[in-house]
Amino acid sequence: MRAIGKGSLASILAVGLNFTRIFLWIGFVGLSIAMVLVPLASVIAELVQDIDGVNLDADISAGRDDYLKLAHQFVNFGVMLFVVNRLLEILKTLRFGSPFVKENADRFRGVGYALLIGQGSVIAFGFLSLIFDADIEIDMSPIAWLAIIAVFVLSEVFREGARMKEEQDLTV
Amino acid sequence: MAISVKLDRVLLDRGMSLTELSERVGVTIANLSILKTSKAKAIRFSTLEAICKELNCQPGDILFYED
Repeated sequence: MRAIGKGSLASILAVGLNFTRIFLWIGFVGLSIAMVLVPLASVIAELVQDIDGVNLDADISAGRDDYLKLAHQFVNFGVMLFVVNRLLEILKTLRFGSPFVKENADRFRGVGYALLIGQGSVIAFGFLSLIFDADIEIDMSPIAWLAIIAVFVLSEVFREGARMKEEQDLTV
Repeated sequence: MAISVKLDRVLLDRGMSLTELSERVGVTIANLSILKTSKAKAIRFSTLEAICKELNCQPGDILFYED
C-alpha cells in the first residue's frame, strides 16, 4: 500500500484525524461552555430555585479543585485540537503536493510549541493541584519530552528539505 | 544577488526569441524565464553549454558578477 498520494496510508490517517477533530471540537466547545457556566453554578441554582414548582435540593456548587480539573482538560483539548489541525494541514500537502514547503516546517514547529505548552500545563496544574488539594493525575512522561524534541528536529528537517526543494526548482 | 544574467541582451543581438532558444536547447520557457530574470539559484553546466552553443557565445557573455 502506498504511503502518500490518493487512497494511501496518509489518506486513511487523514480520515481518522478528521473524525478525531470532530470529537475534539465537541469536547472543546463543551468544556468552553462549562468553563463559563461552572463559576456561575450557584447563581444559576438560585435563579432556578425562584421558579415556581422547582425544588433544587442537590448541591451543584463547584469547588476550586473541580474548576482546576476543568481548566486542565480545557488546555488538554485545546492543545490536541491545535496539533490535529496542524497535522491535517501537513497531510493535505503530503497528499496533494509537495510536503517540503516552508509552511510545513512552521506547522511542525507550531506542533512542538503546542506539545511544550501541553507538558508545561501538566507541571503547572500538578503544582496547583498540590496547593488546592485537587485530585489531578500528573503524568510526567519522558517519552512525551523526547517526542517534543523529535518534533522540533523534524521541523528543521522540513525547513532544510524546503530549502533544497526550492534550490532544485530554481536550478536551470 | 551578485551574479546577474544578461540573456535577453545576447538574444537581442542574435535576433532569437526565448521560445526559439527553449526549443533549440531543450529547456522549458519557464526555466529560461527563471534564468533570464536572475531568479535562478544554480545553472547546470549542460544547460550553460547548450545555451552557449546555440547562441554562439561564451559563458561570460551571459553571466556577470556585480558587487
